[in-house]
Amino acid sequence: MENEFVFSSDTAALDPATDPSASTMFPESNENEPEGLTFYHMDLYESKGRLEIFPEEPAGRGDGALGETTEESTELGEDFRSSNRSAYDLEKEVDELTKLYGLDEDKEIDQELLGGNIATAGILESKEIPAVKEDVAAGSYGSIYNAPKSSSPVNGSQHKEHMESTEEQELPGKEDESQHLHNAKSYDELHNHASSKEELRSDDRQTEQSIQPNSEEEAADIYCATCKIPIRAFDKLFGDHKDHEVTQLANAVESAKEEIQKNMCKLEEQVTEMENFAGHLEEIFITVEENFGRQEQKFEMHYNEVMQTLTQRYEEKVEGLGEEKKQKLEALYGQLVSCGENLDTCKELMETIQELCKDKEKADFIKVKLGEFLKKDMDLVLSTLPDFEDRVIDFSDVQQLMDSINTIAAPSAPVINPQAPNSATGTSVRVCWGLFSDDTVEFYQLYYKQVSDDTPSEAQAAPSPPIIKRKESRSCENAALVCWESGNMNPVDSYTVELSKLTNGENGDIITDSLINPNLDPATALQPSVSLCIHYLMQFQCAETNKLQTFCSLVGTYFYLNEDTAHPLLSVLEDGLTIACSEIENLECDLSFRDNGFTRCIAILGSMIPFQGKHYWEVEVDENMEYRVGVAFENTHRHGYLGANSSSWCMRHIVTPARHKYEFLHSGTTPDIRITIPPKRIGILLDYDNWKLSFFNLDIAQHLYTFNSHFQHYVHPCFALEKPGVLRIRNGIAMPTSITLL
Amino acid sequence: LRTEIMALKQISSNKCFEGFQKVFEHDSIELKCKMRFGIYLPPKAEIGKCPVLYWLSGLTCTEQNFITKSGFHQAAAEHGLIVVAPDTSPRGCNIEGEEESWDFGTGAGFYVDATEEPWKTNYRMYSYIKDELPKLIKANFPADSERMSIFGHSMGGHGALILALKNPGKYKSVSAFAPICNPVQCPWGKKAFGGYLGSDLTKWEAYDATNLVKSYPDSHLDILIDQGKDDQFLSAGQLLPDNFIAACTERKIPVVFRLQQGYDHSYFFITTFINDHIRHHAKYLNA
Repeated sequence: MENEFVFSSDTAALDPATDPSASTMFPESNENEPEGLTFYHMDLYESKGRLEIFPEEPAGRGDGALGETTEESTELGEDFRSSNRSAYDLEKEVDELTKLYGLDEDKEIDQELLGGNIATAGILESKEIPAVKEDVAAGSYGSIYNAPKSSSPVNGSQHKEHMESTEEQELPGKEDESQHLHNAKSYDELHNHASSKEELRSDDRQTEQSIQPNSEEEAADIYCATCKIPIRAFDKLFGDHKDHEVTQLANAVESAKEEIQKNMCKLEEQVTEMENFAGHLEEIFITVEENFGRQEQKFEMHYNEVMQTLTQRYEEKVEGLGEEKKQKLEALYGQLVSCGENLDTCKELMETIQELCKDKEKADFIKVKLGEFLKKDMDLVLSTLPDFEDRVIDFSDVQQLMDSINTIAAPSAPVINPQAPNSATGTSVRVCWGLFSDDTVEFYQLYYKQVSDDTPSEAQAAPSPPIIKRKESRSCENAALVCWESGNMNPVDSYTVELSKLTNGENGDIITDSLINPNLDPATALQPSVSLCIHYLMQFQCAETNKLQTFCSLVGTYFYLNEDTAHPLLSVLEDGLTIACSEIENLECDLSFRDNGFTRCIAILGSMIPFQGKHYWEVEVDENMEYRVGVAFENTHRHGYLGANSSSWCMRHIVTPARHKYEFLHSGTTPDIRITIPPKRIGILLDYDNWKLSFFNLDIAQHLYTFNSHFQHYVHPCFALEKPGVLRIRNGIAMPTSITLL
Repeated sequence: LRTEIMALKQISSNKCFEGFQKVFEHDSIELKCKMRFGIYLPPKAEIGKCPVLYWLSGLTCTEQNFITKSGFHQAAAEHGLIVVAPDTSPRGCNIEGEEESWDFGTGAGFYVDATEEPWKTNYRMYSYIKDELPKLIKANFPADSERMSIFGHSMGGHGALILALKNPGKYKSVSAFAPICNPVQCPWGKKAFGGYLGSDLTKWEAYDATNLVKSYPDSHLDILIDQGKDDQFLSAGQLLPDNFIAACTERKIPVVFRLQQGYDHSYFFITTFINDHIRHHAKYLNA
């Protein structure tokens, strides 16, 4: 019955060329098999996939042989299954066997088992064979399949004989060895299964059993991938495996080995996982203990506190009541005394009267005395009410205390560690924090929000972001000029400027580029008023705080008014882009001290980014305002009028008695242009690329005039008022499509 | 009959700025005579429909003056505009007095539909420009009939203004070089209107730009006018732009009127500012 092990031993042994007598000897276990193993009978015929989970269950046992046993069992099952061809024969044999053992009642079970085996699909792992062999050689193998044999040597030998005879019967010279072995194994299986536990328990010695392979039979030399069993090449040609896919046995063994290796790895992983989990459980255990201890303490403290408060309150109340009682009693007593006095006086008076009645001569005197007496008030009102005032005892603080027992004390806010340098990028930031040991916190919710520009910096330890001089920053569609000063006393290594493209979608800004400390070394970066010009610039970021400041969006040209250039009568309103003039008077005489401001023309210059391309801005005016708007070189004459020289170009509006007059002045000359609708919103387009300066009436998208001039230097917007009034400038806006064609 | 009428006879074709300047002749139904017109097809017309810009010439002109002198081709090619330049009057109708003066009859149709004999049969330039010619262009060329504008010079400037003002929405934009702005008030207009329309002044006013402005329904018309300051006809009181501007100011019709220093009434003046005008129209035609 140990034939199965012959089969599963070295393939060389199965080679027909080798001496059939050189069969492997098998140590038989005389140990009692663990009862639990009997349950594996069902599993033996399970698919391999199912078997993978096996090792997890008995992990604690540390019995290495067990897993192998299982695998062998699989093998056995497979082999057994493959023997379905001769199921009929087997049945016959089983019958005989059962007769032999007198276990008729088990027959049905056996048959069922057979049927189940046939139905069960499985994978034959021929690579397991060497492993089995090793175990066998080690002699430490304890197989349940041996058990029945060892439990009853007589039966075993009978069985063997029987088996041999079966071979002769069934295989009249042509039955291959493996077939035979399968049959034998099947016997073994059935036998095993049929064996009672008593038999399993029975003690027996280890016996050796040799195999007598039929000399006619040949060993399997190739592997049928379809049936998952080793077969002989002969079968491939003529047998059942005629159309089946076959591989070299060695290859099949290799792949099976790999599979085992994988499973080993999986097991190792699972062990590690379990260990980790156990460790985690331990931690939790400790934490729970600690927490409950702490909670007990806390409860005790609370109850003590409440009791103390109540006691205190009781004492206070009692004391108060006593005090009140005393006061009332005293008052009543006083009144009683005075009542008694009054009574005495009355009695005295009555006596006196009675005496006087006898003596009429002293009537005058009595009148006087009586009158005095009657003048006296009789105090008969109760000075104190006898009833007890209803007093509400204030238990609210006690209530609070009681409530506080049930509420869990809020954990302290975690302490955010100061941000480490370079721990953040434009899209990520590493936040580290610590928590108070008293707190038990399951999790912290970490959220972030966009810090708006005007929010004061919340970072304490971190250096503050640079102070952007927003007023002095200028930009256009393709460039920006940013002025800032360092907001820090401490040195800052670098600033990061991020350039992002505004998108319409909700994904926010896409950062297209990032410049770290552009054009500047750290030393100069700390100098105030360092200017920085970066193309495609949109966001300014201080690397240390990661505080993003969107300081300009490049939608159209943004400039600011340079108030140094303003005429004294011209004022810039709070928005920085509205200019006003309240009165016109001649101030020329006392303007000599001004070196940069306009002295004659009530004008102001804007500071525009020195960048070529197109710049667009708008001016809003009142229909009857008199103004000049246009561009001028930075050094345009401060003592002249805009448009009157070669360094300025402007549109002028004046109101004559006959009409609105529009002039487009440069070097003091203007084309003669009549405009029928006075513009209220004027669009000004400066186009360096095409050397043009155009004016539009935006309300009706009407082109008014275009200067064609090759500007030799950068120009700046200029604005002048010739009458009291207000002029509004709009910049940082996109050019309307209606004028882009011109 | 219809096919015969619609038939176009190509008189000339010259490649110009990758497009073609062509001249065609056809039998006009309105004018009951053979008429010629110049048409510039920009390179864009080979791949799709293009907007059409009509040019109306001044007194004494044929279709040739504008296409040979103004130099509009480059701008038209760039903006992808078909430019159609018709003749200024019916020709060869053998009407008595037709050829007697340069400012009346042949070459002086004044873009009106005549109501007086013997002119009323042939001298129907208003209807010809308004209806027949656009139909013809649409039928024979890759023209987008939804997008058309009109401009002209002198008498043609007058024609452009009245066609635009009398047909709100028909033309996307209008412009003029030294137009006769108030013909009922000037010697040319008085002579022509008297001859074609008779003595009824209300009929005259129906073809007078300054009068038409007063009843123009909306302000969705951007009018560009260039005027040479040294134009002899300006000082002669033939053009009277001030009247027109005053009317437009009052009616809030948007006009940019540019009095160009030193320029006269000639095609040299037109050539100087033709690009501005083409761009003005392209802005609305290509919007």
